Amino acid sequence: MFLQSLKMAWKAILSNKLRSLLTMLGIIIGVVALVVLVSLVSSATSSVQNDINSIGRDMMSVNIESTDASTALDSSDLDQIAALDGVGAVAPVKNVSGSAKEGTESYNVSAVGTTNAYFGIEGYGLAHGRYLLKADQDNNSYVVVLSNNAAAAIYGRTDVVGETFVFDETHYTVVGVLAAQDTTGAMSSMYTVYIPYSIAERVSNASSSSGSGFGGSASSSSSSASGITSFYVSAASSDQIDVAKSSLDAWLLNHFGSSEDYYISDSSAIADTMASVTNTFALLLGGIAAISLLVGGIGIMNIMLVSVTERTREIGIRKAIGARRRSILLQFLIEALVVCLIGCAIGLVLSGLIIIVVDLVSGSLTYGLSLPVMLIAVLFSLVIGIIFGVYPARKAARLEPIEALRYE
Amino acid sequence: MADPKVVIEFVDVYKIYQVGDSEVRALDGVSFQVRQGEFASIVGPSGSGKSTTMQIMGCLDLATYGTYYLDGKPVSNYGEDELADIRNRKIGFVFQNFNLIGKMTLEENVELPLIYAGVGREERAPRVRQALERVDLWGRHQHTPLEVSGGQQQRCAIARALVTEPELILGDEPTGNLDSHTSAEILALFAELNREGKTIVLITHDDHIAAQTHRRIRIMDGKVAADEELDADRHPEPSTRHPELDSGAHPEKIAGGARNDEGAKLRKSGKAVA
Ligand SMILES: Nc1ncnc2c1ncn2[C@@H]1O[C@H](COP(=O)(O)OP(=O)(O)OP(=O)(O)O)[C@@H](O)[C@H]1O
Ligand SMILES: [Mg+2]
Repeated sequence: MFLQSLKMAWKAILSNKLRSLLTMLGIIIGVVALVVLVSLVSSATSSVQNDINSIGRDMMSVNIESTDASTALDSSDLDQIAALDGVGAVAPVKNVSGSAKEGTESYNVSAVGTTNAYFGIEGYGLAHGRYLLKADQDNNSYVVVLSNNAAAAIYGRTDVVGETFVFDETHYTVVGVLAAQDTTGAMSSMYTVYIPYSIAERVSNASSSSGSGFGGSASSSSSSASGITSFYVSAASSDQIDVAKSSLDAWLLNHFGSSEDYYISDSSAIADTMASVTNTFALLLGGIAAISLLVGGIGIMNIMLVSVTERTREIGIRKAIGARRRSILLQFLIEALVVCLIGCAIGLVLSGLIIIVVDLVSGSLTYGLSLPVMLIAVLFSLVIGIIFGVYPARKAARLEPIEALRYE
Repeated sequence: MADPKVVIEFVDVYKIYQVGDSEVRALDGVSFQVRQGEFASIVGPSGSGKSTTMQIMGCLDLATYGTYYLDGKPVSNYGEDELADIRNRKIGFVFQNFNLIGKMTLEENVELPLIYAGVGREERAPRVRQALERVDLWGRHQHTPLEVSGGQQQRCAIARALVTEPELILGDEPTGNLDSHTSAEILALFAELNREGKTIVLITHDDHIAAQTHRRIRIMDGKVAADEELDADRHPEPSTRHPELDSGAHPEKIAGGARNDEGAKLRKSGKAVA
């Protein structure tokens, strides 16, 4: 019986191809919208996630919120932290922004005051010269390591070791240039340079009015207070990150006495935030697409109702020769379902093609069809076929045979 | 010799249609019986209630009052599905306007009742073929109803009525849309089926056709006006002389309307559902 209904439905669809196609259009558009949008978003999400993970899975940054001078951290505290379970390296960070002069040009520059460990934590490579050294810190040397794009922008070349770098009227000697980085610095119009932590502290104390809160609210509010307000911590290895985090947390809690006084952020937290944002985004787009599928479903109901009216006599004949209600119901329901599913299949194929085209055009990111979304699209089409097919099918099944036969 | 069992029994059957405020008494207390193996005709003027009687007999419609016993059981006791099964297996209905499904081939039209009867595919094919051969249509079975003549459409409809091997065959003016020659052919087919033991009831406007059946029930204004036994031994011989021929109708035309009584305007020209 089911197979027969399927055959009949198939025949009915084929017998009016144009109308069937137009009916399917709503479903096709809905499915394409759903699958393409959600696939694009989730592909983008996972590629961003990969970026985040590749930048530093084993890195945390700590901001000190406390302004209490008695608990302020100094370099010996950082040494203690570096010796904690699971912790690899620790580097203090103080951000100072200002302008650099070269010839007549001036550039916005963000100087990161830090120590040698910083480069290891961030995983930055060298193009020329050397990193900052402990000696620079101890001697309060006015030396600077330039990021690759800063060197390129300011000097027009990167082999600038030994050049003088004028930052806020102070002369620094360039001792190193980092290897080119593909993502870092792209988000900011400022060029990043690295100076010894002790120098950065001195600069920021001298001109507390021009100190910028680049590294978070804590650095500007505590600019008058001495002590380390921000530092980076790496784990001994990437599988030690949780150990490192908990021992770090325990140490800080013990030191400050309150978890309100410090804030640890790690890349997985960033990734989580990112994921929840993109999930919301996917849900939103999916919702819009689902609405268009719903509209497609209403279109199907409309056409099915027309079809039932048109075929009233046929239904009468079928009933006269012994069709039960259930057979008629099944016939029309299956017809609606088949329309939906064919529409869904066409929609999926189109989505695949669109994704391929997007991949070719975008070049950089590779998008793929998201399998769960495809399944959802199929399910959704089925449900819509049933919901919007049942009413017309019931209407057909309930026709009185003699009334239906009389219908012109 | 005991009389054959009663297949159809109407006991004081009323059919009242409500049209706006007024009611139309299509059947106004009809009682009659049809026994197994009979070949009966129902005659009467247009609007007298013949089709209404036939629809109730064929379980396409139910009586407003009164009881219709089919095989001794009151039809009003049956549910929807049981009525569908009765229409499927027990009764073969032949309509004036053929009522074939236009999108399907003749073969598929004949196959349809078997599908609803739940007969398997292997069994269906030979039965469909047999039924179509029976009405001499095997060879045209791949055509759609729109591609064959009215007489062929009606023969296909008869094949469809026969294919489930029902005991009872009902025809509501089955020759009404056909020319006299084709009518005679169709009538001969019914007569042959009757000789094979099928109970047959036909509605007709044509006295000549009624005269070839074994019994004539005359209905007037929703009541049975006369119920006469005709010569039962007489074999229906297809006649070549019909009133239509004399009145100048086109014998080759398949459309109805060859007669000029007032019922003609009420009848739909024979056509299949597109
Ligand atoms: N659905 C309906 N609603 C209202 N009245 C109806 C309906 N069907 C039939 N009638 C009325 O019932 C009466 C009997 O109709 P019926 O179709 O049985 O006549 P008939 O004898 O078959 O006529 P004909 O020879 O023209 O086919 C008529 O007066 C008709 O108008
Ligand atoms: Mg009639």
